[in-house]
Amino acid sequence: MSEAVFREATAEFRTQSVPLSHLSLELGHLYMEDFEAGPQRLREHFAEVRVWADAARASVARRTGLKRPRISTCFLIDDYFTRFSTPAELIPLVLKEAERAGLVIDYLARESGCAVADRIEIAESVLHRLVESPPPGSHGGRPTVGQTGWLANGQRTPLTKRAALGEVTGWQPPQETAARNHSVFMDVELWSEQDGRRLWSCPFLAAVWQLARLGLLRHLGEPVLVPRPWNGEDFPQDWDRLPPLLQLNPQAAAFSAYRTCTLMPNRFLAVEDAVRLILDQTQVTPVALQQVAERSAREGLAVPEAVAQRATYVFYEEPVDGRLGKGT
Amino acid sequence: MATALGRPARPVLACGEVRTCLLPSSHALDGRAAAQLLRLRADEPVLVSERPIMYALSPEVLTGVDCRLPTSNGADIRAVGTVIARAALTGGRVLQAGAYFGAPATGPETRRPWGHYLVRPGLVEPVGKLPEQATAEGVLRGPGRGELDLGMISEGLLSRLMRHPLLDRTVPLKSRRTDLRWVARRGPADEGPSLERFALGEDGLRTVELRLPEAVPAAAAAGLCEDLALHDWLLTTVVHLVTRGGLALPAVDHLLHLWMPRSHVEPVLSPLWDVLEHSPGFSRQWQNLVQRIRDQLAVQTVRLLQHRSDTTSASAK
Repeated sequence: MSEAVFREATAEFRTQSVPLSHLSLELGHLYMEDFEAGPQRLREHFAEVRVWADAARASVARRTGLKRPRISTCFLIDDYFTRFSTPAELIPLVLKEAERAGLVIDYLARESGCAVADRIEIAESVLHRLVESPPPGSHGGRPTVGQTGWLANGQRTPLTKRAALGEVTGWQPPQETAARNHSVFMDVELWSEQDGRRLWSCPFLAAVWQLARLGLLRHLGEPVLVPRPWNGEDFPQDWDRLPPLLQLNPQAAAFSAYRTCTLMPNRFLAVEDAVRLILDQTQVTPVALQQVAERSAREGLAVPEAVAQRATYVFYEEPVDGRLGKGT
Repeated sequence: MATALGRPARPVLACGEVRTCLLPSSHALDGRAAAQLLRLRADEPVLVSERPIMYALSPEVLTGVDCRLPTSNGADIRAVGTVIARAALTGGRVLQAGAYFGAPATGPETRRPWGHYLVRPGLVEPVGKLPEQATAEGVLRGPGRGELDLGMISEGLLSRLMRHPLLDRTVPLKSRRTDLRWVARRGPADEGPSLERFALGEDGLRTVELRLPEAVPAAAAAGLCEDLALHDWLLTTVVHLVTRGGLALPAVDHLLHLWMPRSHVEPVLSPLWDVLEHSPGFSRQWQNLVQRIRDQLAVQTVRLLQHRSDTTSASAK
């Protein structure tokens, strides 16, 4: 038939697959305050992380039954909310302290790469993929999350309105859609406007980061946030000149993986709960989802169906500054 | 329709609604502009084909629903899932927005976590057993209060597109929008697809009933129904222009070249057009109209020429 003979490139669309490890293990997330606390803080961080990293590796080995499962490690530096130091100054310090704890950082990412990478507006694309969990009674006409900038796990407390006769209706509680007996209602701010420009929230960028690590992001069918190799040259003086995702270890397993494990101080618990809320309402490109599902199943390690279930965490107690002799 | 885990979700019923109207623009959009208009999300392309006619199809967007399904017998059946909406522009001129979903015969007894539904885009699962027949009839009749409203979803998409800054909101000819509701029930395994009914109702409402083998996805049925809706709209619009006896020129300029049945229909469903070609004979009627418009124009041209030659010879004297 003519369909097979005649083809038009603009009328077709293919989704590329990406290489996948068993686990993407995040060794930390560096913010300015961590940096300002000095190298001791980093040292303490990595010493603690080492313990849990070993546990995560052992867990994957047990689950896969493999002696050497494919595990890649990554580290994220915030250059989005605050700019501090320079890559030339900071990265060697991070690598040194990681090495001291016996850890290897395979991939290094900049947080702003989760907003825009290689001129692709990744966060904006993910925003368009949000499909809100409909509270009971939703029959097709709800304002989209794109208009409000907030995403909840249920129905908000209704605005108090004066009824026709002037009486004020009482307060009504919010309601979690998937509540079991009682609600744990959560409402997450996805962005704010600052000086006419959109500032993505930390949980939203962290959700994008999880999707990248799970190999589920595409732009017009092509993978995004693709690691760029590092050839041992000096790191630049300017964050903008650093690739959004840098492969530091040439022998590293693939950056993206079937599952992620994130090791972080327990103050991030609320942020990561918000990340799960976002992931739970994000519709990933079906073909990318299918590719991951098929390959993981073929390896006998089928991923959980829901994307948010593929992310695990270890929240550890934060190093106390006093113990580190800084006295702040 | 396959799920993320390769397990087919096996809908036994697919339902949809498509709105068709003239693009509110003084000129037809080219492929580039069409792609701009239909760019509903940044990370997926608008598919544009130039042959045999310019046709652009938007990426799909999902709407989450948790409500009662419309049923003809008043059965109270809750369903949860996502409805797919998409838009198409044909010949840079005719805009369509549609919404559709598939439903399996049975669903879980309670609502599952939302992630379950998001990996099954376009599937709306009944809580319990689906009353197939009653739901199909209910959808064709239209939703009651609080029931799943495909019209509202397609209308929402259409009005979003109509507000696009690319459009100058000037129309070259008068036309009315049409609304086509469709249902496709699963047919026996050993039978091919069939078109059971195509009915013209009042107020521009059309209804289509299909029977499809399991292998035919809901998206293909939606594609067929968009094609039927498009050609039905063309017929309706041109018939209206001709019978009102107005100037046929705008129709010639903007619509006559758009008649291309089945050009974007999945090959497996293409034969369903034969039924309509046989009776009432969609293309026959169209050819008839085209001939009538050409005759009208020829007569006008002859009159015009005659009038000119009369005036020239008069002034030569």
